Amino acid sequence: MSLEQIFQQALNGLSFGALLFILASGLSLVFGMMDVVNLAHGAFYMLGAYIALSVVQVSGSFWLAMLAAPLVLGVLGFALEPFLLRRLRGRHLDQVLLTIGVSLVIVDLIGQLWGREVRSLSAPGGLDGSIALIGGVYPVYRLFVIAFGVALAVVMGVVYRRTKIGMLIRAGVQDAEMLGALGVDTNRLFALTFATGAALAGLAGVVAAPVFGIQPGMDTDPGLLYSLVVVVVGGLGTLSGAVAGSVLVGPADTFGKVLFQDVALAVIFAIVALVLLLKPTGLLGRIRVAR
Amino acid sequence: MTSLARWALVALGALGLVTFPYWSGPWESSRFATTVIRDALVLAIFALSLDLLVGRAGMPSLGHAAFFGAGAYAAGIAGQRLATDQLPVTLGAAAAVAALLALVIGVLVVRSEGIFFLMLTLALAQIVFAIAFQWTAVTGGSNGLSGVGRPMLATLDFSAPDLMYVLVAGTFVLTALVLWGLGRSPFGRALMGVRENERRMRALGYDTTRLRLSAFVIAGTMAGVAGALSAYSTRFVSAQDAGLGNSVRAFVTVLVGGAGTLAGPMAGAGLVSVIERVVPSLLPPDLRIAEAILGIVFIVFVLFARQGLVGLGVARYASLRARRR
Amino acid sequence: MIEIRDLRRAFGGVVALDGVSLVVAEGERRAVIGPNGAGKTTLINVLTGEVPPTGGSVRLAGRDITRLRPWQRARLGLAHVYQRAELFAPLDARENVALAVAGRRSPYRVFRAPPRSEYDEANTILDRVGLAGREGVAARALSHGERRQLELAVALAQRPRVLLLDEPTAGMSPLETARITDLVAGLDRTLTIVIVEHDMDVVFRLADRVTVLHEGRVIADGTAADVRGDARVHDVYLGKAVTVA
Repeated sequence: MSLEQIFQQALNGLSFGALLFILASGLSLVFGMMDVVNLAHGAFYMLGAYIALSVVQVSGSFWLAMLAAPLVLGVLGFALEPFLLRRLRGRHLDQVLLTIGVSLVIVDLIGQLWGREVRSLSAPGGLDGSIALIGGVYPVYRLFVIAFGVALAVVMGVVYRRTKIGMLIRAGVQDAEMLGALGVDTNRLFALTFATGAALAGLAGVVAAPVFGIQPGMDTDPGLLYSLVVVVVGGLGTLSGAVAGSVLVGPADTFGKVLFQDVALAVIFAIVALVLLLKPTGLLGRIRVAR
Repeated sequence: MTSLARWALVALGALGLVTFPYWSGPWESSRFATTVIRDALVLAIFALSLDLLVGRAGMPSLGHAAFFGAGAYAAGIAGQRLATDQLPVTLGAAAAVAALLALVIGVLVVRSEGIFFLMLTLALAQIVFAIAFQWTAVTGGSNGLSGVGRPMLATLDFSAPDLMYVLVAGTFVLTALVLWGLGRSPFGRALMGVRENERRMRALGYDTTRLRLSAFVIAGTMAGVAGALSAYSTRFVSAQDAGLGNSVRAFVTVLVGGAGTLAGPMAGAGLVSVIERVVPSLLPPDLRIAEAILGIVFIVFVLFARQGLVGLGVARYASLRARRR
Repeated sequence: MIEIRDLRRAFGGVVALDGVSLVVAEGERRAVIGPNGAGKTTLINVLTGEVPPTGGSVRLAGRDITRLRPWQRARLGLAHVYQRAELFAPLDARENVALAVAGRRSPYRVFRAPPRSEYDEANTILDRVGLAGREGVAARALSHGERRQLELAVALAQRPRVLLLDEPTAGMSPLETARITDLVAGLDRTLTIVIVEHDMDVVFRLADRVTVLHEGRVIADGTAADVRGDARVHDVYLGKAVTVA
């Protein structure tokens, strides 16, 4: 591979990593706070993309879609949590199972409402060109994705560490029960967290759509599969884990696909296997593995 | 009812099940029911194997389809590459490949528990699926593997619909028997101990990691056999056979039927098959929401009937008996 | 029988064990006492293998077991009665003990049902600890005292060489305490027993020797009489609530 090609693939890897961060951070957050692995996360991601599709069809504005999809998903998450998960408070495994059911319903309804063909969403005007970069041209939109991902990570980091809500979330991640005992309305906090996770998934769906397309099966690939790989590798429950995982998996997957093509995912398998063998909780993980 | 009488009843039921195509002929000339039951039985075998993990050993695996798919592909590919249709070879290949894959994945996941275990199995199985989906040269990629050979035993051709059914039903009865035996053996009891209190089991001298790995490999092998049967019956292997949807389907079947019981996965397979086959025929043709309905049924069970159909039945039976006293 | 040399265990910044050394002879009854936070439970957990030490070594019958896993140590004859009952809640008492009996053998027997002898032995052991008639009761349905008896039965079913009892009489009525104490006192003299206890009456009734821990260190080690008169031990306990039944 020539130097230009390497550079291009590196950018591809980074933009994929940025997308992975937007996607996986929500999953990690919900788990860190509520000890629930939201298996409907991929379905939320998918729903975000399809909502964006409709919003763009109706309004022509990608930016509006970028606002609307996370909003709708956030509301959905906020409504779902008390309706379903709260009944199963403390039964973490059952909550996870419940999210499976939710995923089945959402994905099937998406197919029913929007159809089961492959769709596409173009990058917003202004970002849909290419610019000249080190010998070749590179799509502007992907650069935007990188920038957006980084910006989001910074914003989330700031909120997480320097605001009151961030402090509540950090405390909740540490010990939600204690927080409840201190008089914090954990029900509201959980609902809010779940809503944020859903919104982030929806946002990822919109941002990823021009790059990865919109089609049946996207809830698992890339949706759920990659979120899980990122958090398993990077560490569940922490923001830094999501960052670490995305930064590792994004480029690894991209280069893997270029170098090994058909068995690129074996590369991912190898990384996951390696991490699991060396550090079962993931690189920066919070939960403990039975020993 | 005496134990002997119960055994006789079970044997009779099993015999009836296996010979179904032969005595149902008069009112079942289209062989539709035979096909439906056959597919339900394949699901039942798959679900029974998963229940060994989920119900018995307390290992909630969401990646079980990886072994189902591996078995299906192995049966098909072995038949084609080795230019043979002989059942022992292709079925043997399916079991061996599934067992090996279960060993490899098992070693990685078996030290974790609960939700983390669930996620790991899901992620690793998904990777297996992705490999199957993309490795077009070997698996046919997204087009799937077609032309799976007829399962032959010497000159006996099992691809005839009635004989295929017998093959599946026979395997089902055998699987149920094996799992029944396993369940009441010291091994099965040890698995139950691991499920209830792993810490205690370790303190009692049980190598719980090895026990879980054994269960994982056994369950994976059985799933591989189920996959092979699926390949034989449809003469086709799709990458989706190894996908998350299939893993979820098996999990739903186990839970809805009743985890930890022998009858549970069977009942679950029946219910799921009904929902998938019968419901679409009740709805207008452009309303394809069978999966969503399955999802809702699943949610309802998780919320209100966690012990599944069998659990509901047992509770009902117990309350009826109590009332009679 | 048990040789602990310079055992250390720190949890982050907290030092739980700070160079603990002690030797327990075969057949000895050793009590480990000390105020709360002295490191007693950590000591037990390091002995069973559930917590790895950050320094030092543990030997069982001359064999270095410092790196062995809990299940391996159990197979070498180490049995543990937990501070908080760790039983198989939905299973009945007999099943609980049977699992322990079966633990002595390989669990990879798949071709037949568990032998009657395991259940017969379980019944016998349950009888010995005073739970005759309660064999078929689910563990979670037993009273607190009965659960402790069951715990003891389960440990004994392992046919151990060493028995570790972590506060066996905690939370018990005087009647239950006396019953457990009698049971332990009546155990075979070839069995080495280490008891962590707060109840001094139990300690003086059962123990040959007493080791006193304080802030992760051994501050006294001798016969019960020696320790009773030791000024340092008095200082350490002064002002602290010692649970006496």
